[in-house]
Amino acid sequence: MDTVVSVQNLTKRYGRITAVDNISFEVNHGEIFGFLGPNGAGKTTTQRVLTGLTKPTSGKVKVAGYDVTKETVKAKASMGIVPEVSNVYDEMSAWDNLIFASQLHDVPRSNRRNRAKELLELFGLFERRMDRVGTYSRGMKRRLTIAAALVAEPPILFLDEPTTGLDVQSSRLIRSYIKDLNKNGTTIFLTTHYIEEADQLCQRVAIINHAKIVTIASPEKLKTSVEKHQIIEVSFNKIDNLESRLSSLSGVIKISLSGDKFMLHVDNTSESIATLVNFAKDNGLVIMSLNTLKPTLEDAFVELTGISPEVLTREKEEKKGAAVG
Amino acid sequence: MLLLANRLVSGIVKAAYIAKKDAKLYYFKWPNITFGLFLPAIIYIAFSLGRSPEIASTLPGLVAMAGLFGAGAILSVALPLERAKGTFDRLRAAPVSLTTIVVGKTLGGFFFGTVLSTVYSLIVIPFSGVVLVNPVVFAFGIVLSSFTFSALGACMSAPFGDVPEAMPPATLIRVLMVFLGGVLLPVTAMPGFLQFIAFLLPITYAVDLIRQGLAIQIATQMLLLDIAILIAFAVSFLGLAVLILKRTLH
Repeated sequence: MDTVVSVQNLTKRYGRITAVDNISFEVNHGEIFGFLGPNGAGKTTTQRVLTGLTKPTSGKVKVAGYDVTKETVKAKASMGIVPEVSNVYDEMSAWDNLIFASQLHDVPRSNRRNRAKELLELFGLFERRMDRVGTYSRGMKRRLTIAAALVAEPPILFLDEPTTGLDVQSSRLIRSYIKDLNKNGTTIFLTTHYIEEADQLCQRVAIINHAKIVTIASPEKLKTSVEKHQIIEVSFNKIDNLESRLSSLSGVIKISLSGDKFMLHVDNTSESIATLVNFAKDNGLVIMSLNTLKPTLEDAFVELTGISPEVLTREKEEKKGAAVG
Repeated sequence: MLLLANRLVSGIVKAAYIAKKDAKLYYFKWPNITFGLFLPAIIYIAFSLGRSPEIASTLPGLVAMAGLFGAGAILSVALPLERAKGTFDRLRAAPVSLTTIVVGKTLGGFFFGTVLSTVYSLIVIPFSGVVLVNPVVFAFGIVLSSFTFSALGACMSAPFGDVPEAMPPATLIRVLMVFLGGVLLPVTAMPGFLQFIAFLLPITYAVDLIRQGLAIQIATQMLLLDIAILIAFAVSFLGLAVLILKRTLH
């Protein structure tokens, strides 16, 4: 498999602060590679170095075979960049933004208008192409920023938090564009702090924490790696006084209540299900629902980074608030 | 060699696109019109109150001043504002060198400065009785001065990431240049140590070059010296702007 992004011993320091600490990884042609980590882990700094916007303190970065530090212009010709904050020109129309982007990205003059039209139609902005971008919603600006990064049909697309602060519909739309682009052969480097997004989209994920890469693997492999015991989610027609009785059942390691459902951490799923059925029968209870759960990517993330789920949730909310505010 | 020529042409074309975009975005902003168009007139009128300066001797200074404030107004906004809004990274994300971006920004300011200098010339010359003896030299003086002032503007705004930070020091330097650079008073009429400072300022050579356009006989040596020094200033300012940006952006 061809390597399109190669990072070797990359370190970036700002004074005494080490933003990225000796990281190495490769991104293969045609994959969606997720770069996942909490706020301040070094995700955006890494992406800025990879895209030539920031110089590394040490280490080597190659994109499409070009050294990003020495052959910056050539490397940039093969990439599209979507930064964390949409940076299209508010004072210009969507049409003018795309024409300007195509002028700078060496799109042949004869093809500029067609390409702009094609992208505006693809991203559902054609009807409003002549309106000032300042009048657009956040989701529309995000779509236009992605469209502007695609004018020259780059083989590699760098996306930094593409759905942060967007409503559910816009986020879904953008995720579907990302999938389609990848289907058509574009390699995608996706920086995100949304674990579900990485899980849905990425073939491989690198988890970065405290400036260092903790692990790189496929989402499924990461989930399996933290699968120490299985979880059974069960709900009965009654809840009262059941927790202590359930916790004393054989094979139950841990129990917690989530809403009206009990989460039972067990050694052996099939034996524990049989025990639960018997327990319900003996106590005159009706089982309302019973599911076996696998660890999520979030479980793997929490396990690998040591960040508690509460902190993670707070970070998400803060980020969402900052983006909306 | 051919590859180098292609890269150069591509760089110039892209710089022109950046300048065109800046023209669309910033030329018709009210603060730029006020700052570029009216400030030189206000300074000139304030200086003239109570005196009766000979228009023929002060016209080159007025025209140069229009270029200085016009080009400066655009550069004080175009660079720091785009850095603050993040749109500067849009330029940097494209396959263009930082030098091309700086040249593009400089061209944007240069055209604005040239237009304002020309507007001042067209307003003042017909009513002042001044004879434009060497229009080509006069026009060339305006063009070269505006480019140099625009490059100076790029250099002065390069360290700053927002307009409120960039504007005050740049304005202060420009106003000081006006008073120290023989714009309103001939350099020879200034005290010795101020004359020394005047010779370190690009506006002194810009005024002299534009003045040659009004002279009955051109002093060729001085003309060539003015041109050479202004080109040297422009190249140095551009180089310095790129250097400062490289340091502050990474």
